[in-house]
Amino acid sequence: MIRSRRSYVVITVILVLLAVYFIFPFYWLTMGTTKNVSQLFQKSLLPGRPSHLMQNISGVFNYQGGVFLNWMANSFLYATVGAFVGVFVAALAGYAFRKYDFIGKRLLFIFIIAFAMVPGFATTLPIFMMFRDINLLDTRWAVLLPSFVNIFAVYMMVSYWNQVEDEVFDAAAIDGANDLTTFFKIGLPNVIPGFITLFLLAFVSSWNNFFLPLVVLNSRVRMPLILGITTITDPQGFPVYNLTLTASFFTILPLLIMFVSLQRYFKPQMYMR
Amino acid sequence: MTWISKAKLKSTLKAYLFLAPFLAVFIGLVVYPIGLGVKLSLYGQRGARMWYVGFDNYKRIFADSMFWDSFKIPLFLLLVQVPLMIFLATMIAFLYETRKGGGPVYRFIYYLPYTIPGIVSGLVWSYIFSDSMSPLSPLLSLFGLENIKLLTRGNVPGILLVIILWQFTGYTAFLVYSSLIAIPKEYSEAAQLDGAGLWQIAFRIKLPLLKGPMITLFIFNAIGAMQVFNEPWMLGNLVVLPLNYTPAMYIYNSAFSQGRFTYASAMGIILAVLTCSFSWYILRSAGRQILGRRH
Repeated sequence: MIRSRRSYVVITVILVLLAVYFIFPFYWLTMGTTKNVSQLFQKSLLPGRPSHLMQNISGVFNYQGGVFLNWMANSFLYATVGAFVGVFVAALAGYAFRKYDFIGKRLLFIFIIAFAMVPGFATTLPIFMMFRDINLLDTRWAVLLPSFVNIFAVYMMVSYWNQVEDEVFDAAAIDGANDLTTFFKIGLPNVIPGFITLFLLAFVSSWNNFFLPLVVLNSRVRMPLILGITTITDPQGFPVYNLTLTASFFTILPLLIMFVSLQRYFKPQMYMR
Repeated sequence: MTWISKAKLKSTLKAYLFLAPFLAVFIGLVVYPIGLGVKLSLYGQRGARMWYVGFDNYKRIFADSMFWDSFKIPLFLLLVQVPLMIFLATMIAFLYETRKGGGPVYRFIYYLPYTIPGIVSGLVWSYIFSDSMSPLSPLLSLFGLENIKLLTRGNVPGILLVIILWQFTGYTAFLVYSSLIAIPKEYSEAAQLDGAGLWQIAFRIKLPLLKGPMITLFIFNAIGAMQVFNEPWMLGNLVVLPLNYTPAMYIYNSAFSQGRFTYASAMGIILAVLTCSFSWYILRSAGRQILGRRH
């Protein structure tokens, strides 16, 4: 009994130490938002005294005539529209694979899945050349369009649709519902939880996507937060650490709020970087 | 000779109507760009002028020591970070199991870094290790280590290790834990009756059953290691890193700092082929799982 008591304590110590490692950068970032540059250089772990939180926040929001608000609006636009279109289009495709027996079905599915693992670095460069030729560079479409393709969502949607029983579709057919009605009124409600999960995952990955906007955007007014915050400098071109930290805090805040409030929908998948 | 029935033609038409929106964006923004990338990789380029050169770019890449050097970081991550992380995550998952309800508070805290974009993790950690702001240097001076420079080029691999472990260990532990609780209770109960201890059950009974998820985890992380970009990119703001620090950075810099688009395209194709061959195992089992279910 004593031995298991001791091992319980040892395990708790390990778990707490690990928790400190995982929490520390969040803590340091939050403290950083209350400091000006000279307070940051004091390397203290405590909040800044006097607190510069308000100055930092107004500094971020007034930076270059309020471009930060543009970044925020852009991030919401890119992530919401991109995620919704991507998952909706995938729901349609998944429905086709579930409901119909059609020519080329197996081959098409394998073909689509084969492209799932192609890295962004291989497609972004030709997309840059393509968009340059059709004058889409430095437009919002240049960020939105590539996010409409969500191969992972197609794969997941096929498996969600597979869980919908045949009876559901048979009943719809008996009622004389046409295919589109069946999809919207009868099918879609059955895959809504999966839809929400995929939407959230796509939202986060588009919110966090740095490489694509880095390549296709030039104008600061069209940048999303994730790119914008890396461009914060003083008029001489030197980084402004306190503003960058405060802006980073506001970049991750929506993600943290979403994750905490919608935790039950964030089912971890084998879905990395 | 088989005749395709009218019913099948009709359902084929309907199916492709539902597939049309996806196929349009998929072909326009994935298939076509890759084809274009392959085509570009076969061209020489100077400024806006391009001409067909066959496999010259590939030949030059294979002889380009900067290209091969860029794989040092992915290789380091593959050999050190990935095994270490999967090991730590498995240990953590076993620790979760010793807690009531799987230690939901710990699971939540450990998972949090995964919700943060790589750019912000890279940024915050690069500040934490920087000379001017590091909260670690007062800590080090407690141990008599004054004026130690933490963020040097030689230390960047170690710092990357700290950042990437921070980002993905909790998430990986969550995945391992989900597979662990899916193992039927009878297995460990039977072993317990035979007098096996907690850790014996963990290593002898449960670990072998996790083989499938482990292979998948390893492959996904190997792919991630090969594509690492955001974290070194952010560290590069505070410490000078070479243009070819990772393959992705070399591709980006060749294209956009040096304007060698066709050369960069060829490197992109090589990276894509490497990635796809890594992921062959996953794709095969994924296809089998989904298509085997019905029809």
